[in-house]
Amino acid sequence: MNKKQFSFALMLSMMPLASMAHTPLCSCYDNGDGTVLCEGGFSDGSSAAGVGLAVVDANGNKLLDGKMSEDSEFEFNKPEGDYTVQFNAGPGHLVEISSEDITE
Amino acid sequence: MKKTLLTSLGVAALAVSGAANAHFQLVYTPDVIVEKPTNMNMKLVFGHPMENGHVMDMDKPEQFFVQFKDKRIDLMNKLKPVSWAGPENTAKAYQADYRVKRNGDYVFAVVPAPYYEKGEDIYIQQITKSYVNKGGLPTGWEQPLELATEIVPLNKPYQVFAGGTFTGQLLSEGKPAPGVECEIEFINTDIDMKGNAFGKENYREAPETAIVAITDQDGEFTFGIPKAGVWGFACLGAGPVTEHEGKELSQDAVIWVNAQEL
Repeated sequence: MNKKQFSFALMLSMMPLASMAHTPLCSCYDNGDGTVLCEGGFSDGSSAAGVGLAVVDANGNKLLDGKMSEDSEFEFNKPEGDYTVQFNAGPGHLVEISSEDITE
Repeated sequence: MKKTLLTSLGVAALAVSGAANAHFQLVYTPDVIVEKPTNMNMKLVFGHPMENGHVMDMDKPEQFFVQFKDKRIDLMNKLKPVSWAGPENTAKAYQADYRVKRNGDYVFAVVPAPYYEKGEDIYIQQITKSYVNKGGLPTGWEQPLELATEIVPLNKPYQVFAGGTFTGQLLSEGKPAPGVECEIEFINTDIDMKGNAFGKENYREAPETAIVAITDQDGEFTFGIPKAGVWGFACLGAGPVTEHEGKELSQDAVIWVNAQEL
């Protein structure tokens, strides 16, 4: 990721703190067993069930594509190396989380 | 000389009248909005946060738990006794650690053991709630916890502002409680999380008399918050239990909110 992309991702990852109505929210956790859990939602408390989520590698290649479960969760096997989770709730509603921000 | 004497007497009188009223059970966390998984360090202290005077001994609480979504997690086994230092004395208090991981609202609630207040010859039990949010996701801060008495926030309690208002609804056994006096205070000094102590210096002079709101016919009160800080609301004698060990019991509902500058 170049510096500009990183700033953009950083900015997006800060978005959950902004208090706009219906802001998409996503957080991911390293389960410590080789898997990663992400949970999504919206700032008005509504569910993110069915919202698309993708994992891309450091070069922007898509590693996997999925959807949030009924509980607004998505679990995947932790990829090798740096990766980014993209929680895509539609135009202007993309949250990106860099692997370095995903901890136990 | 005369003026000095009068002033001193005035200050003494104010200090005494202030001390008689404003007990507040604290459930304090330094942060109420967190973005990442965080070990929350909490302090349970019974004191007079606005006057920052005498601190009172806490016995082991009857209940201490956190409500997260539809789960109630018992935290009694996380309580560790500590000695808490106020500017005048030290008292028995508690601390607890709890890891906040998943996004949502965490409502910490304590039902303390009744405290015998010699000065008034009554027992006081302040059922207290504090709120922490992780990740900006609201998951039930507006829900009551089915406590004997409690204040249900009608504004998001971890997101209120200096210059704005806070509205709460007082419930007793789940029903709105009208006509109840609610005292309002802010924590008027630093909290030393490592040293388990209130600061020696106060931020500002406490008002001359207690700040009070009376609940309306729906059990609601609204208060305009003048300054940023940690504000507490204590609705007195709101609960159904009025006697403990043959003496009068004041079963109070307390809620804490954090007001910030916009």
